[in-house]
Amino acid sequence: MERWRPTRSSNPGSSTIPRGESLRARIKSLSAWSALIPFLLFALALEVVPILTVIASSFRTEGVWPTLENYREATAPLIVRSFVNTIKLSTATAGLGVILGTLVSHAIATSRNRYIREATTALADVATNFGGAPLAFAFIVTLGSTGVVTQVLLKIFGISLYPGFRIYSISGLVLAYLYFQMPLMVLLIQPSLLGLRKEWREASLTLGASSLQYWLRIGLPILGPALLGGFLLLFAHSFGAYATAWTLTGPDINLVTIQIAALIRGEVQLEPGIADAMATASLFIMAVCVAGYQWASARAGRWME
Amino acid sequence: MRSSSLGRWLVIGFFLTYMLVPLVATVAFSFAIRWDRTILPEGLTVAWWQAVTARRAFVLTLTHTIIVSLSTMTVCALLVTPTAYWAHIRVPRAKPLIDLLTTLPFGIPGVVLALALLRTYARFGGAIVHSPGMLILACSVIGLPFMYRPVVNALNAVDIRTLTEAAQTLGAGWGTVLVRVIVPNIMPGIVSGALLVFSLVFVEFTLANLLVGARYKTFPIYLVEFTRFDGRQASALAVISFIIAWLTSLALIRLVRRAGGPREEAIGAR
Repeated sequence: MERWRPTRSSNPGSSTIPRGESLRARIKSLSAWSALIPFLLFALALEVVPILTVIASSFRTEGVWPTLENYREATAPLIVRSFVNTIKLSTATAGLGVILGTLVSHAIATSRNRYIREATTALADVATNFGGAPLAFAFIVTLGSTGVVTQVLLKIFGISLYPGFRIYSISGLVLAYLYFQMPLMVLLIQPSLLGLRKEWREASLTLGASSLQYWLRIGLPILGPALLGGFLLLFAHSFGAYATAWTLTGPDINLVTIQIAALIRGEVQLEPGIADAMATASLFIMAVCVAGYQWASARAGRWME
Repeated sequence: MRSSSLGRWLVIGFFLTYMLVPLVATVAFSFAIRWDRTILPEGLTVAWWQAVTARRAFVLTLTHTIIVSLSTMTVCALLVTPTAYWAHIRVPRAKPLIDLLTTLPFGIPGVVLALALLRTYARFGGAIVHSPGMLILACSVIGLPFMYRPVVNALNAVDIRTLTEAAQTLGAGWGTVLVRVIVPNIMPGIVSGALLVFSLVFVEFTLANLLVGARYKTFPIYLVEFTRFDGRQASALAVISFIIAWLTSLALIRLVRRAGGPREEAIGAR
């Protein structure tokens, strides 16, 4: 409605609102916007301008602008490998997180014991908030070379994890990331699982479908968008993670966030512009994931009516 | 039927094991005398807890972290509450823009935010860009989505327009309406958001490490340093972090249960 007001005032002959009135309305609307200025300034100064600065600076090398020099240098094997490693790690933790999280969420949702249902959901809620340094350290205590579970496996079951497995490696990181990815998926998929109506399953079973057929032809297609959305969100979550990886593996593992942090601290002899190029590429990947997540969760909501 | 319920118990058992073993192990480790060559600890002691909490750096870093967490919480609450209310009642057209600006931080990895802030503000000198104030502002950016969603949900749950008009009819100005009428009505949302921000910033390592580092050491930085040279004392510090996370989460769950609404999911880049 309000959007048409300026157009109307520009054509006073056909307008029922006198010119002065409309101007006053416009001033009033402007003054209403002015109350948002503190927030908008904050967002501009600390989100928009810094992000645009990094993107712009990724196209500048030694005063030359625009140039793709930073991106050309970012094709160095070390940098390319950091992206390959990060994408592999994120795909693995997001994929496993989606599969395991959905199974757990389904088990919780169909459990008839109310106490178990509430306690496990609360646990998932809390565990999603665990992360970073304390979590990484808990995994060192558990699965490190002299870790608690490592000892039990070795002394009781005669299974020697080391040196075949190392918690300080990419596969160790997968285990640690799953600690927050799995409960996150449990919570994300819960509304969609609860939205699967009993009647749909009963109807398909009555019509002679097997349980497997029900899942393949009805359950999973309905959950599809929610699963895709969950995967993208978990992927982004893992792509941007730094604290857990740094605490667990230090600079030994070549990940995008570890490389950018090393460039910030000036630990590596590389052009600083490369950090900007890597940051811009990461922002692009994150933007695709978050936009995809929003699109998928809007579609997933359709069945919830 | 029986096999499917067995499957369910296996899945739930696996989940509980995965979630609880690392926590239990860390707690036990912080009380163990020596535990690197036997299945059970060789004895129990509170020595590591005494040693680590007696250090001056322990109190100092914990104080720093509490200051940063509380300040961030305050900045987020002061920034988000009036803005969300005003957009809700007076400028609905601004909502999509505010939604976008409060969701944006989800898509910015911590290292990228740190790099962006350094690139933008380094020209004003290290005293500014490496200051605790800058850390608080940066933490406020990543805290925005966590503050905004619960506040908006609370605003949507209450008839804000009627409340505002009733208060105005009785002669209240905008400030009075906000502070004495709206804020008490959306308090559960504000407290939920504040708790989420607090627990997020309490374990925040990336921004603290890259922006201020040793200049203003926070608790997570102290913890990471300890993991490199004394595992037992580090495990005591990790347990403290876990306890804080537990307490804030339990407070949130209770708060939401009392308010009767669904909790907005907390999703942060770790």
